[in-house]
Amino acid sequence: MAITDRHLVTAIVVTHDGETWLPAVVAALASQTRPADEIIAVDTSSNDSSTKLIKAARIPLIAADRDCGFGDAVALAVAKIPKHIEGNSEWIWLIHDDCAPTPTALEKLLEAIDDRPQVAMVGPKLLGWHDRTHILEAGISIAGNGARWTGLETDEYDQGQHDGIHDVLSVSTAGALIRRDIFEELGGFDSNLSLFRDDIDFGWRARVAGHGVIATTAAVAHHAQASASERRSVDVNGAFLHRPLLLDRRNAAYVLLANSSWWMIPWLSIQLLASAMVRSIGYLLAKLPGYAADELLAVGTLIIKPAEIVKARKFRKTKRLVSSRVISSYIPPRWSQIRLSAARVAEVIRAKVIPVTESSSVSVLNSLEEEDLLVPTQRFQMSKFLKNPAIFGFLLLAIITLVQSRNRFGALNGGALVASPSGARDLWGIYFESWHQVGMGSSHASPAWIAVVALASTLFLGKTPLLITTFFLFAPLLIMWSGHSFLRKLSNNQFITIPASFLYALSPVVLASVNSGRLATLVALIIAPQIPMILSNWKQVEANSWRRIYGLCILLAVLTSFTLFTTFVSLGVIGFAIFSDYDEKLEKPIFLARLYKRLTLLIFPFLLVAPYSFEALIRPARFLAEPGLNLAGGSTALVLSGNPGGAGSLPWWTVSPILLLLIIALFSSSHAHSFAQIGMTFLCAAVLFSSISITVHGNSSGTRTWVGTLLVGATLASVAAGVVILDRLRTVLISSNIHYRHILASLLLIITAIYSVSSIGWSLTAGADSPVQSNMKRVIPAFLTAEADTKTLVLREVGSANSKSIQYYISRGEDISLGEPDVAPGQVREIEIAAQQLIDGSGISSSQVFSAYGIKYVFVKNPFSRNVIRTIDGLGGFARTSATSAGVVWRVTGVTGRIIFTAKDGTRSVLEAGEVGARTMVYGPGTITLTETFDRSWQVLQNGYRLDRAKDEQSLPQFQVKEAGEISLIHDGTIRRAWLSLQLIAWTLAIILAAPAGRRKREISEKELA
Amino acid sequence: MKFKKPLLYVAALVASFLIASALTTVSKPNNYSESYPAVVCPPTLKGLTSQISISSRKVQYQRLENRSSKTLPFNALRFPVSKDSLVITAQGTTPLIWQSRAGSWAGGTLCSGPSSAAWFVGGTANVTTRGRLILVNSGLSDAIVDIQSYTENAKQPIKSVNLKSKSFMQLSIDTLAPGDKALAVQVVPRSGRVNAFMIDEQGAGLKALGGDFVNSYPSAAKEVVIPAIPNPLPKKGEKASSSHTLRILTPGDVNTTFTLEVLSADGSFVPVGLNSQSIDAGVVSEFSFKPKISASAFAVRIKSPEPIVASISSSVTLSGRKDFVWSTATPPLTPMSIAVTGLSPLIVFAGDSISVKVQTKLINGKTVSAVVKGSDIATWRVPENARSITIISTSKGVFAGALIASSNGYGFIPIQNGSALTRVEVPNSNIRVLNP
Repeated sequence: MAITDRHLVTAIVVTHDGETWLPAVVAALASQTRPADEIIAVDTSSNDSSTKLIKAARIPLIAADRDCGFGDAVALAVAKIPKHIEGNSEWIWLIHDDCAPTPTALEKLLEAIDDRPQVAMVGPKLLGWHDRTHILEAGISIAGNGARWTGLETDEYDQGQHDGIHDVLSVSTAGALIRRDIFEELGGFDSNLSLFRDDIDFGWRARVAGHGVIATTAAVAHHAQASASERRSVDVNGAFLHRPLLLDRRNAAYVLLANSSWWMIPWLSIQLLASAMVRSIGYLLAKLPGYAADELLAVGTLIIKPAEIVKARKFRKTKRLVSSRVISSYIPPRWSQIRLSAARVAEVIRAKVIPVTESSSVSVLNSLEEEDLLVPTQRFQMSKFLKNPAIFGFLLLAIITLVQSRNRFGALNGGALVASPSGARDLWGIYFESWHQVGMGSSHASPAWIAVVALASTLFLGKTPLLITTFFLFAPLLIMWSGHSFLRKLSNNQFITIPASFLYALSPVVLASVNSGRLATLVALIIAPQIPMILSNWKQVEANSWRRIYGLCILLAVLTSFTLFTTFVSLGVIGFAIFSDYDEKLEKPIFLARLYKRLTLLIFPFLLVAPYSFEALIRPARFLAEPGLNLAGGSTALVLSGNPGGAGSLPWWTVSPILLLLIIALFSSSHAHSFAQIGMTFLCAAVLFSSISITVHGNSSGTRTWVGTLLVGATLASVAAGVVILDRLRTVLISSNIHYRHILASLLLIITAIYSVSSIGWSLTAGADSPVQSNMKRVIPAFLTAEADTKTLVLREVGSANSKSIQYYISRGEDISLGEPDVAPGQVREIEIAAQQLIDGSGISSSQVFSAYGIKYVFVKNPFSRNVIRTIDGLGGFARTSATSAGVVWRVTGVTGRIIFTAKDGTRSVLEAGEVGARTMVYGPGTITLTETFDRSWQVLQNGYRLDRAKDEQSLPQFQVKEAGEISLIHDGTIRRAWLSLQLIAWTLAIILAAPAGRRKREISEKELA
Repeated sequence: MKFKKPLLYVAALVASFLIASALTTVSKPNNYSESYPAVVCPPTLKGLTSQISISSRKVQYQRLENRSSKTLPFNALRFPVSKDSLVITAQGTTPLIWQSRAGSWAGGTLCSGPSSAAWFVGGTANVTTRGRLILVNSGLSDAIVDIQSYTENAKQPIKSVNLKSKSFMQLSIDTLAPGDKALAVQVVPRSGRVNAFMIDEQGAGLKALGGDFVNSYPSAAKEVVIPAIPNPLPKKGEKASSSHTLRILTPGDVNTTFTLEVLSADGSFVPVGLNSQSIDAGVVSEFSFKPKISASAFAVRIKSPEPIVASISSSVTLSGRKDFVWSTATPPLTPMSIAVTGLSPLIVFAGDSISVKVQTKLINGKTVSAVVKGSDIATWRVPENARSITIISTSKGVFAGALIASSNGYGFIPIQNGSALTRVEVPNSNIRVLNP
């Protein structure tokens, strides 16, 4: 074909171990509708047959060193091209050895530049090598963080949506057509960019030199991206450790720093560093430490050689004709980057949650051909919609929950649940701080559930009350969903699994937990069904991947953070499993493989909730406690029926079918008996533990243990056993004569029906008035909160009308909030005696004791015995300050406060105190008494020295001051911070180990790439 | 065996249940601190003499105005008090104080613990009165007391008084409703450890018309029993000298009726005019009656559809001198103990079926027991050398009062605990109190 245009095109093919793609490339060059006027190949000492292939194609070959960069190779070729001929427009067409242009590529490229004389560089649309519908690029740019920007979605399908001629910052060198004179004028490619990003750099330089760069999608080339996808080694000079990612990131940073305006450099440097760190964390999470190191090293290698940047900037300055600002319109806006990143994340999540099913190969159009087009299309029918058992079940539960929760629309408290702080910040405060201003103060480790709730509050814009209300409102639905996701593994019959999961969500333990504010049991009810799903093969645990084990560890750790009962259960289950393994006399490697995984499941969750879990070893009652107030559970007989009892639980007459179901299932010949055995074990444990009384969470009187967590196991096992039995019962009953199975089935169904009706009825009526309600009442009157951090002894009659008891606690001027009961200290014996004597009227010295402990007020909350009020009136040392409908307040006479200074002459004065620490003056030698529980971390500093610390008669911390001057009171939280750091490391490790591992690009097979 | 394993599980569950039931540390019952609060005796006002009967010489006391918390033993079984009010740690045996003005009147009352409210139905605020309302604050803090008076004319405005710690105050009762004749007073301490006592003393010019303690009753009730009303029998040839006046008040807002039934050794009956007698709310009413009874004491039972308070004033003559006795309502009899050293009261028991076991501790330390039985009314005279009497047991619905006669006059004492065993629950520390 005669060449009619005025362009002179020299194709330059650079090869480097490209034998895989080279035949196709050469063929593509040869089949161009507008052939190149000349073809020159440069081979960078390929180790394969690339040279032979080039020679066989009779293409002139220039040999270069193996470490020769792409730019240098092109420069070698350009040097060989004869000198410029006046009147002709000379172009160099850069062809990678893995880039095959389509036959019309050159023709279309030239067409695009025909009427655009300002264009110095034009590139084709790049499509995938393997998947030829996958669009790779149609012009490129660079983001502020150095990312290569194509503006395309991941694996975007080319439907011509980007077609046209686009003004771009740059185009890939693969298939790029560059005007030779401008190429030479700009000094070719930067030799510092031996590979990667040399294209963007050149485009940028061309732009600021006043030239145009366009991408024309009419021209197409297929690119294998062999170097970027690590199909071949990167041997170019400057490729540190031969790592493509490192070179790419380093070059990206170089391009940005060498070309951007000088005033942008500090901001760009921060962006580059920050994004490198974020990406390296991402790679660490994906267990790709090499890539993570690449990210950081890339920035590091550039920082240690600032001279390179300075030199490059000077060079660019000599060629620049227009301001760098012309580039700004080609740099992708930050919003676009965020939007695209979000879309990618959403796509990843969608792919995980709703995997794409293999679509039918039958065309929809074809199927329509067979149908009568006059038949009306099916429309949405409400009746059909409601007949779906899943929809009906969830809808019914939602209605029941809504009606039952009619008193719970607002900030909740009551039962074991205490009022939530207004923001997650307060919860984080409780979690992080080393000293808790609760009662007489404590340095107890905060349980990890506080951090979990604080983290979850973030999703609710930090509004913890909204989170708690929403959680209690949606808990039954979540429980039903979780239960159903497990039960549907046991039966495909939704008419069995949906009612079963519905009953699970209305089981006695669920109703009692919701009504009495048991956070831990509700979390257990949601998480429990997921555990057998994650670890389906418990017997042969070694078959599960370590990733799965660590994933379960995280789930168990979340559960353990709410209740250490989980550790008890794990200990029992895992101990039994190890014993069984030992008993089976397994081969040592199998036994050890199982042992390691089982022990990991036991120990790792326990470690993840340290130091709270470690403290529990010293205070074992914590193993049996739930978050919040320590309220009594039900009687042993009630627990036996699967009802945990306590405030807000179902009354005894709504006998649940749990026990009956477990007993029937025990005798079943199906594998329901396995579930029944598990359920019976949980039930036995629950019954035994229900007889234990514990003293914990600021409650000094022994309180019967709440065994809701154990009953979760029994309930779930019972429901699962029921599903398994029912799944095959119908067939068995039909095929057999009437015998005991029929009677048992009838009995079971009748009891279940009675339970369903009675429990729903109770929930909708009396159940709605259970302890947990939206209640904005306060205990401490507002005027007592005015004095910051003032201790007030609060006396109240607590309990039902039949069993009232007088109880007291020290308030810091506020009602308690979420998390505080868990770190509350026990009672102080001296205060207990003084309070007792205050009530029985013998407490002549009660006021002195209270004063010594910094208690400034005594508040008796109404309703209260008038006799006791009169008794307190009659005692000396208490001056009545108010009597309102809320109660009566007395001021404890005498000098008292948080920090008391006793001068040498015995004069007591109250020093100014902060919330925890304080900075104040003392005006002479004496003794400082801090009216907080003694703790070694309390320190008072004066002139840079620590004052001697001792315990006074009341076991309060006391410091000797030898001279006047400023003092600083601190609670040293170093140990707490150390624990938090260790915890953070442990959780990060757990998440990394549980996260899906990323793959290096070279590990992705060609098939997958296709 | 096919069902061996299932049966094992069932057996394990049953065993767990049995073990748990056996082990259940029954939710530790609340601890209680039991004590008898210290009782307070009224002070001895000017011109009066007082003697306190105590059950043991070791009983400790403290003078009211003594700021120290130290107590002293009485070292005597009958203790004369010159002025001050005494605070006595009586430990269950209620001391009794007998006061008198030589040649004028005598009367007694129980030394008692602080009360939440006290009704005094008695006294007069007219020109003849020399009565006093005595308020004692035995606590270490100041006290506030509300005094609500009712008269035959109207309910009076509440009068509030402040009492300093460890002090007493005497109010002339004529200041409560000047000029009114029939008085009923309710004393309600708002704060503080307060006791109230009332002395009704009357005279016309230099002539003493007698006097007595008006004992208190804690609250109004629909049925009240006044168990011991003196009815001195005239000597042969003398006219019956005793007349009785019922003073009654319904402190509520609704008018009501009442029926008074006399319980006597001659049988029980309703005197003429006291059957379904109507009374106005908030106004004190008086009704005189002279029942013909052959016994020296009788009791009355008053029933009303609305809560009422009532007492009976009985005029008596002693050695030619006129005196009067305020018999007041008492609560149902319960096991209790009262010191009676130096006195030999006549105990009158009233009730449908009376069966009371009484133990008397004599001054020499010996104890004597007696069982008093009867219906409607029964009387029992305490031996002269007794130091205390103890009600060991009693049948239901029995009320008791004591009548004491001395050279200076007659007196009535309710038989009730001056200092009831106080059972105060030992408080527990529980952070739950800080959660609404």
